[in-house]
Amino acid sequence: MISVLRTEKLCKSFSNGATQQHVIKNLDLEIMEGDFTVIMGASGSGKSTLLYALSGMDKPTLGKVFFGDTEISDYTNDQLAVFRRKNCGFVFQSIYLLENQSVLDNVLTGAFTVQKNSTELIRRVKELLAKVGIDEEMQKKYPNQLSGGEAQRVGIVRAVINEPKILFADEPTGSLNSASGRDVLDIFTGVHENGQSIVIVTHDIKTALRGTRVIYLRDGKVVGEHRMAKYGGATKERREKLTAFLDEMGW
Amino acid sequence: MKICRLSLFNLKRNKREAAAIVFLTLVSSFLMATFAVSITQINSAFDRALEEAGCADFVLLFQADKYRDIYRDILEEECNVTDVRESSVLCGAGASALSKKGESIAYNMIFADENTERKMENFQKLNALPDDEIEKLSHPVWLPQYFEITAGYAPGETFTLVSGGRDYPFTIAGFYNTGLYNSSSMLKCIISDDDMVLLSAVYEEYRMIAFDTEREFSYEEYYEKCSAKTNENVLSAVIPLDKDMERMVETSYLAIFLYMSVFLSIVTMISALFLILHKISKDMEEQMVQIGVLEALGYTSRELSLSYICEYILTGGIGAVTGGITAAAFSPVMDTLTRDMMNRDVHTDVNILRILIVVISIIALVTCFALSRAARVKKIPPVVAFRKGIKTHHFGKNILPLEKMRHSINVRLAFKGIFNDFRSNIGTGICMIAAGVAIMFSVYLFDFFKSGYNGLIGVLGMETPDISIIMMSGVNGENFCDEIREFPEVEKVLLTRAMGNYVEIKGCNQSATVFSYADFSLTDNIRLKEGRFPEYDNEIMISVRREETENRHIGDSIIIKGDVGEKSYIITGIVTAMNNNGMSVYMTEDGYRRIRPNDRPNIVEITLKNEEDRPAFTDKLTALYGASAKDTAYEQTSQTEQSAQSVQTVQGSLGERIRAEADEKMAVLISQYGVTDIDYAIRIGDTVISGNSSRFVIKEISSMKDFLKSQMESIAAVTKTFSFCAVIFIAVVVAVILGIIAVSAVKRQRRELGIMKSMGYTSRELMIQLTLRILPVTIISSCIAAVLSVWVQRAFWMAAFGVQIPESPPLIIGTAAALVLFCLTVTYISAGSIRKISVTELMTE
Repeated sequence: MISVLRTEKLCKSFSNGATQQHVIKNLDLEIMEGDFTVIMGASGSGKSTLLYALSGMDKPTLGKVFFGDTEISDYTNDQLAVFRRKNCGFVFQSIYLLENQSVLDNVLTGAFTVQKNSTELIRRVKELLAKVGIDEEMQKKYPNQLSGGEAQRVGIVRAVINEPKILFADEPTGSLNSASGRDVLDIFTGVHENGQSIVIVTHDIKTALRGTRVIYLRDGKVVGEHRMAKYGGATKERREKLTAFLDEMGW
Repeated sequence: MKICRLSLFNLKRNKREAAAIVFLTLVSSFLMATFAVSITQINSAFDRALEEAGCADFVLLFQADKYRDIYRDILEEECNVTDVRESSVLCGAGASALSKKGESIAYNMIFADENTERKMENFQKLNALPDDEIEKLSHPVWLPQYFEITAGYAPGETFTLVSGGRDYPFTIAGFYNTGLYNSSSMLKCIISDDDMVLLSAVYEEYRMIAFDTEREFSYEEYYEKCSAKTNENVLSAVIPLDKDMERMVETSYLAIFLYMSVFLSIVTMISALFLILHKISKDMEEQMVQIGVLEALGYTSRELSLSYICEYILTGGIGAVTGGITAAAFSPVMDTLTRDMMNRDVHTDVNILRILIVVISIIALVTCFALSRAARVKKIPPVVAFRKGIKTHHFGKNILPLEKMRHSINVRLAFKGIFNDFRSNIGTGICMIAAGVAIMFSVYLFDFFKSGYNGLIGVLGMETPDISIIMMSGVNGENFCDEIREFPEVEKVLLTRAMGNYVEIKGCNQSATVFSYADFSLTDNIRLKEGRFPEYDNEIMISVRREETENRHIGDSIIIKGDVGEKSYIITGIVTAMNNNGMSVYMTEDGYRRIRPNDRPNIVEITLKNEEDRPAFTDKLTALYGASAKDTAYEQTSQTEQSAQSVQTVQGSLGERIRAEADEKMAVLISQYGVTDIDYAIRIGDTVISGNSSRFVIKEISSMKDFLKSQMESIAAVTKTFSFCAVIFIAVVVAVILGIIAVSAVKRQRRELGIMKSMGYTSRELMIQLTLRILPVTIISSCIAAVLSVWVQRAFWMAAFGVQIPESPPLIIGTAAALVLFCLTVTYISAGSIRKISVTELMTE
């Protein structure tokens, strides 16, 4: 498998007055193309910090991040923005749709950063939205008129519309009820089946079950890794193996 | 107490905005308070100075040879005037003097001796040399304060008059307070009796009649009565001056600056009020959830509204009070400025009451505006507040949907943003229009005065030749002009007559100065606003001010009272004319002869190819045509004075000596007594020596440019500086407003901007989007401001100088474009705080 993302001695610390808080410590990690990587760990273990460092949302304090063969850790903020628009898609726990734009415009705002306006693009956006259950009527609505699940589905379409090399998600089902969460995870699985590389941060076992690789973080370091086959359903065996791994990690 | 705590909390959160409101209200309060204190003080300072000087309310200066005793009788018997005083003075219109730098400057000057001055005024001495030193001076002169303040002279220094290439040095004994004749239009100097005799050969003698009146005095009525009794043209022989005229000259310019300060104050206040409204709206939007929480905790909407109002009473109050205190502290500086503009020592009392009224008014205004906007808290019950207000629920039409986008996504998103902030944009627009008008008007002023007083010369409505020659009567003007034209240094020669030919226009309140030329198309500064130059003898042009004030237009007829009855003229054109308070008329040479058939043109106006050739060319003229009668007369007077002290060496034969003596006597008669033609014959034994005055061609040589320079240079310099400062000041105000709008927009939209950053929008792109959002409002406001500024400019020039200066479309367009560019640049730079938005921090909140 080809490596999409790689870190070398990645460190990230935050200063809190005179104190330095080291969140990620000398972390070496590789994300493979086509993998559905799940990052788990206790609260404060550095999951989200790692996700943002990997995705170019944030710069590491020390160490390097490579996207393919290109080092992105020394990019400027604007270079990172251009990198993100071309290569990354994001799904957030708080969804973060633009409230003053319609559903369709929310997706197009992301799409137009890379692609030019064309009938084909509009058709594809509408098709994708329809595929996740957002019909034409709903596409004209504003985020405040949507339920959490609907909004998150729009968020996923917005994240994948530019066919990113890697899709990042930070607890995408965290704010959803179980039914909506399941719908959202189904979409993730569908996207992954199409060959999309995904990195997802979660502490939800149902979400983790969808992955092919589970990484466990503790105090800013990878302390364990569990590999699984492609998701074909939450089988008992799959669940037990994952639970055993997580138990071993002290989850 | 809890309300104050909420206000202080808000103030602490938005220190920058609070500082901006304090700054804007401070400046507005300062400018308005300065105006309120000074506008009446300058008039009372003027009245006080005149009272101390003990001058009369009115003064009429009659040319001595044209003065008739009956003029005084008419005043006393028919015009109900009181305290009539009469004396003789010398008057030098456009008299040259050397500046401290040695440059020639022309002034309109009156010379009187000490006894005359004591008869007319109190002769209140100010800054002077010790008495024993004054006594030792051979040629002492007491100058009006104008020379001390404007020209920078000091007692003991030399003040040199120049005439006919000769210097007349005086030593300044001191300065004195003169009521009238202390402005660039006319200055009165006090000299010794001996010097009066000396200068009587150089300057014309005038009869000065000063008087007071208990009721309104009408010049027109008086002139009519004089003309009726003497059948002579009084208008051409008299120079009137009164307190109101002097007041206008001394204070009007200062008043203009004060009114411009008010304009700037209003612009600043509009900006401050807009900022307050904007900030309250945005604060409420931003703190919507907090408002809901506080309401849920039991705070009433009245208390919450008051917390916002208190914030602005506090900031506005600090600004207004500080501005008021600054205005009071500025009083000595204002005194100095007033002194420099009025050319008098003034002391203005600080009127605390007026300052208080200004300060209270500003605080009240701020409170009212804050109240109107803060009252909206009532419309936000807790449940609505928790949902971040109704506004965030967009159930309306999607304006500019992205799927129909044709251009760049950044442009499209920027334009969508405009509609989301429509009300704020209207406020920004109003603010920008006010600031734009002020900036553009100041730029026009600066542009007009950028090359000193040359701009003013262009709207004078009269020619400003390098050399003006007054010819002797009997000299053929056309032939003389033809001869002058042959000189290689000469660019242009025009034949006209002396300024000061007043005529009465039937049905008009104000008499008019007549300018006559054979062909107006050869003139440079007589510029048409509309219509065409007069070509026939029954055609006339009038000034813009006369058109405005007397409602006369092209195609109308006016009737002029002439020496041989009334003549009708058709108006063919309107001229931009600042001279003579903008009340001149213009007619052809033939047209002028219809009213005064015997009055021949006697002035030759010479424009040189190179202005610097003027002294050499004057010498050349003297060498060719002989010295002017004035210079010859002076020679005769000064030699008489010297003969008492030294032995004169006389050269040549008896006949030559007699002819030289006769020439000098003729020169005195011509220059001092207005004699036009002289023949003489002297018999010595069998020999008869005869001659006539035809040997004199030139009566006097002068320069209009020198005179205009003394009158206009300081006005031009002050206006240029003032307008430059105004542009900078308004630019700062605009920058503050736009900066705060941009920063608050970034702060308010931090979440949206963060999301967009996460989607891959660069900070630069987002800054461009934010900048483009104000583009339409900036362009529209600049266009409206450009139109309004032209209107303001026209109104200003008409009110201040009675002229309309031609607008420069490239300058208007250029300024408007520069304003748009400036606004965009300021917004772009201020939007730089977008860079500080951390996507990670936002996502992990």
